[in-house]
Amino acid sequence: MTATLLPAAADPVGTSSPSSRPRRGSGRDISLLVMVVVVALLLSVIVGLPLVRILTVAFSAEGWSIVSSMLSNPVNRGILWNTVQLGVIVSLLGTAVGFVMAYAQVRLKFRGKRILHLISLMPIVSPPFAVATAAITLFGRNGMISNGVFGQQIDIYGLKGLTFVLTLSFFPVAYMNLKGMLESLDPSLDEAAANLGANKLKIFTSVTLPMLIPGIAGSVLLLFVESIADLANPLVLGGDYTVLASRAYLAVVGEYNVAGGAAYSLVLLLPALSVFLIQRYWVSRKNVVSVTGKPAGSPELITAPALRIPMLVMAVAVASLVILMYATVVFGGFVKIFGVNNDFTLDHYRFVLAGIGSDAMFTTTLLALIATPIAGLLGMLIAWLVVRKLKRTSGLMDFVGMLGLAVPGTVIGIGYAIAFNTPTVFAGRQWFPAVAGGSAILGGAMAIVMVFVARSLPTGQRAGISALQQINPAIDEAATSLGASSLTTFRTVTLPLIRPALLAGLTYAFARSMTTLSPIVFITTPQTKIMTSQILAEVDSGRFGNAFAYCAILIVIVLSFIGLLNLAMLHPSIRGIQRR
Amino acid sequence: MPRTRTSALLLTLPLGVTALLAGCAVEETPTTTSSSSSSAGGSIKGTGEVVVACTPQEEQCQAMAAAFTKASGIKTSFVRMSSGEGVARLDAAKSKPEFDVLYGGPSDGHVAAFNSGLIEPYVSANAAAIPDKYKDKDGKWTGTYVGVLGFCSNKDQLTKAGVSAAPSSWAELLDPKLKKQVAIAHPSTSGTSYTAVWTQMVLNGMDEAKTFDYLGKLHQNVLQYSKSGSAPGQMAGRGEVAVGVIFSHDCVKYQKEGFDMLESTFPSEGSGYEIGAVSVVKGGPNAENAKKFIDWTLTPDHQDIGPTVGSFQIPTHPEAKITEDMVKLDEVKLVEYDSLAAGEKKKELTAKFDAEVAPAPKE
Amino acid sequence: MTATPESAMTTQPDARIESARDSLATATPGRVTLRDLRKIYGDDKTGTPAVKDIDLDIEPGEFITLLGPSGCGKTTTLRMIAGFETPTAGTIRLDDEVINKVAPNKRPMAMVFQSYALFPHMTVFDNVAYGLKLKKLPSARVTEEVETALTSMNLGPYRDRAPHQMSGGQQQRVALARALVMRPKVLLFDEPLSNLDAKLRVQMRGEIRRLQRRLGITTIFVTHDQDEAMTMSDRIVVMNVGVIEQVDTPQEIYRHPASVFVADFIGRANFLDVDVHEVRDDGAEVGVLGKRWSVGKHPAVAAGDVVTLMVRPESVRLSATDSREVGGSVGRVLSSMFYGEAIEYDIETEAGNLVVSVADPHAHETFTQGDFLDVGFEEGRAWLMPVAADTP
Repeated sequence: MTATLLPAAADPVGTSSPSSRPRRGSGRDISLLVMVVVVALLLSVIVGLPLVRILTVAFSAEGWSIVSSMLSNPVNRGILWNTVQLGVIVSLLGTAVGFVMAYAQVRLKFRGKRILHLISLMPIVSPPFAVATAAITLFGRNGMISNGVFGQQIDIYGLKGLTFVLTLSFFPVAYMNLKGMLESLDPSLDEAAANLGANKLKIFTSVTLPMLIPGIAGSVLLLFVESIADLANPLVLGGDYTVLASRAYLAVVGEYNVAGGAAYSLVLLLPALSVFLIQRYWVSRKNVVSVTGKPAGSPELITAPALRIPMLVMAVAVASLVILMYATVVFGGFVKIFGVNNDFTLDHYRFVLAGIGSDAMFTTTLLALIATPIAGLLGMLIAWLVVRKLKRTSGLMDFVGMLGLAVPGTVIGIGYAIAFNTPTVFAGRQWFPAVAGGSAILGGAMAIVMVFVARSLPTGQRAGISALQQINPAIDEAATSLGASSLTTFRTVTLPLIRPALLAGLTYAFARSMTTLSPIVFITTPQTKIMTSQILAEVDSGRFGNAFAYCAILIVIVLSFIGLLNLAMLHPSIRGIQRR
Repeated sequence: MPRTRTSALLLTLPLGVTALLAGCAVEETPTTTSSSSSSAGGSIKGTGEVVVACTPQEEQCQAMAAAFTKASGIKTSFVRMSSGEGVARLDAAKSKPEFDVLYGGPSDGHVAAFNSGLIEPYVSANAAAIPDKYKDKDGKWTGTYVGVLGFCSNKDQLTKAGVSAAPSSWAELLDPKLKKQVAIAHPSTSGTSYTAVWTQMVLNGMDEAKTFDYLGKLHQNVLQYSKSGSAPGQMAGRGEVAVGVIFSHDCVKYQKEGFDMLESTFPSEGSGYEIGAVSVVKGGPNAENAKKFIDWTLTPDHQDIGPTVGSFQIPTHPEAKITEDMVKLDEVKLVEYDSLAAGEKKKELTAKFDAEVAPAPKE
Repeated sequence: MTATPESAMTTQPDARIESARDSLATATPGRVTLRDLRKIYGDDKTGTPAVKDIDLDIEPGEFITLLGPSGCGKTTTLRMIAGFETPTAGTIRLDDEVINKVAPNKRPMAMVFQSYALFPHMTVFDNVAYGLKLKKLPSARVTEEVETALTSMNLGPYRDRAPHQMSGGQQQRVALARALVMRPKVLLFDEPLSNLDAKLRVQMRGEIRRLQRRLGITTIFVTHDQDEAMTMSDRIVVMNVGVIEQVDTPQEIYRHPASVFVADFIGRANFLDVDVHEVRDDGAEVGVLGKRWSVGKHPAVAAGDVVTLMVRPESVRLSATDSREVGGSVGRVLSSMFYGEAIEYDIETEAGNLVVSVADPHAHETFTQGDFLDVGFEEGRAWLMPVAADTP
């Protein structure tokens, strides 16, 4: 019967010939081994090596003297204290703001949710200076609002200004976290509480809030890491409020004291890493909110004025501030000196688009475009290996992949400068030439792409992991059982299924690459100019108009990319069949 | 497993593209240039490229690079950074320099760089035309412009702070009314700021303790130490502070850009000045072109560019044009500025400033 | 969703479907042999063994079911055969060749998953074509093969549907078609029917069994549902805590269980404490319920062993009595439940409480709670077996 349908010579499955045997693979799946080795190698080069090198330098005699003086030397103690203080304040405030925005978004009834959502995400797609420069223009000594409207001379330089700007810049992280968590809260819990006689406020305090505590704790810790790692804002409006990141920067850039830079980096690395670890492995385990499966129904939106009005007022206030900031960025680019001389001019845009800025714009976009697919795919690949394929080593690979996010950018940047400015020699052999610095191959562009990848892959990885955890592993096994190797399974089954996570990963990778500054300032080169570091130069020299123009163009580039990516993903050939 | 192989290729594709694209973006650096021992006095025409660490303001760097590219045919690229930062970058890449020329910034920075073994002495034939006081006889550095340190004050902001007239002495800068109303750059990163520190050394008879006593008092009035030397002028212009301590030519530039409330004054005790210098980076990738570039900067062709882009430093070449907006050197009291001594003490003094002055608390 | 009833494939199949099925037949069904197969999760020394040194021979073309409660090792065994788990020790042979080291995607086996594991981003057609495309068949051949497979499962009209647009039963058939189109030497099922509703489950049982007979394909089926095992299998492997309790035909397992566990797990059983009067090679004389009975016995039972007598509920015989006291052969009805096709009683006796099932009783033959009855059983269906902790 078989023969009538399948001529023996072309028998695809090999069942009609008695000599056919299961093909003896050389042991287990080779493509899996290859993937693991390639990923592990990539990670150790883009994250591992710089970290190891910076630790080596920090523990050298010169570096160690600074590290050990961290608590004894009053100046260093002050810097350390400033850093911690800033981190604590911003993480609490940012989480609070993020919570208000998320709660309003998920639970309150009002019009314009979509707009509020977009506004809440705006700071993620913009370069770090946009808010800081706008804040100085609006709320500085001679600020258009602080002085112009209220006649006040506010001292925005220092802790106050940093708190304001960092909170506004980082609350979206908390917003995203808490929004997801609020959405996955099973509304039947609310219904149960209501059924037992609790009113809305009581439900909020006795059910909603306790369920969210792990999420809130997680956001606080994440924001702490982000805010102590921030370099751009302390440089622009730190005043005499020095933090570890800006101190490390000054040591390396101003004094060429690499050992000092490494030492401050180490001190910065310790709290960042430990807080990150706590967030990752402790808080996430305490998470009581079930993230698998859809909630049973949609929660009843809150209309009770006692909760709704104060929450909405706060949300609208925050949203207005964000809008104000970005309006300033946009308008500021078109006037001579915003607030001083408000004559219309195109000079700033001409400077960016036709002058030296166009070079930086092109290079940055190109490098980000190269880094984005690598980071996106690598993130998904790591997620897949971690969730599906690796057993004992999965925790390690997950951790190393996340390091790009956990390690402050300043530390990565200094690590790159130390590790890659010279050819990498190991065991008496040169493994690859210098990849960072102006004299490196490709004008240092490769190191920048590597930094972009290292910095932006963790988000894709996280998204990929949570997406994969919701997909039945039997689907992978089904592909295997039908003859697919690990790589084929990943390509034909896994990747299409976690497409939304990949999309998120790509989007974030591009945005992050375009807007990252702290590691980049240490490795830009004459041949490879990066927009953020150009903006830093403009801001530092006080040419805010140029900075505004840069920021606006950068935001436009990022938004266009996101738009195009979403359009492309909608295309049927890519989309495949939509899942439920 | 042919399918596996294609997939593996697919995954490595982005990496390949990286290499390809980046390869296109950067032009091949010629490893050897013309073997002529010196191009001094000869034609500045050449091929290939030259990479400049450029410390004046961005516009000036751009105009300068464009003019040299046009005049010589040598592709000129630059990175704008403050002079301290520039020296740090040279130090960082000492084993394989990425720059050919250190352009601008006070000569003491060049001296410090030379002492760190980062500078190759070069006596340009064109240096003959430059007055002796504006050049090092061994060619460690050669001056191409002169700038005088001054106070750049915002008249409106002064009024608000209750100060009637722009400060005209170092002592007046300590006026308690000016608390957090003064901006100056950090001497680690900025040559401008180090010039101010050294000026205090000179005024205090090289007494470090007295100097730091003054700087400590000034610290109480300083809002923020910026990275780049000219930034305080902008801060004053926007009214963030009342007074910025900067080179007066930068203040003039800001006035021209629209900050008409700015006023430039000079300290009566005596002001420091910079001799904006150029020097050849030791072991730079394009040594011959670096020399051609230096030759060119010592000509009026180059020195006349400044005023066209709003940079009003005084040119060092006697035949270069002097404009109305430039400081009249004979009208300002200048201190005796020994850039050799200043350069030698630079590392020590900035480290001390960084440890003792900058982090001190303010009442 | 169009109104094709779930039962479409169980109604009289048309000739087209039958011929499509014939063309899917496997020429050489595989023989699977397990020897000393062991799986320990975690550390080899300290970990908990999930499968303990099992031996099993699966004949070509046989339908064999691994049956047992959850945690008994049946799924682990299946996954080791499929290659998704690596055995800690022992060998797996396919047609005399050890395949322990053969990657799962290289084994000529196909699996049908509990969740069906259809690729949600592909159409029905693409799902079924997936494995064939990996074989690099020309696309015309792929189309032809897939069409045949879809026809055989009566899925022709659904070829361009997405999996989530189909009912559970239809998805099940797609999963089956996807496995069969590979013409595997061995077909593996991992509790494939547990997600279906009761009625459909019964239909699919018969369907799968008929299909398997027709194709003659070696089939290993994992389930915890004894009805599935009984109705479908040529032989059943009863597993418990990682060991095989018994391998036999459904009838043998039901009638002559090897252990109390098997007797209890397969169907329902009453276990009576009896006095053993005599043990012969082919049976035994026992005393219980006030009488002496001649019953069958497990070969391992020897004189002096601790034993128990298994009596299935349907083998118990009840009749009215005038006695008003529990004792000897007299028992009393504690409760009764009416199932339609049978009535079930809970009877108190001196040998313990008995569950009794009386098939299709007439109305006048039913008893009510409190009635006293004379209790006996069919001697030939009672089974004397050892109680030892680890029966063979």
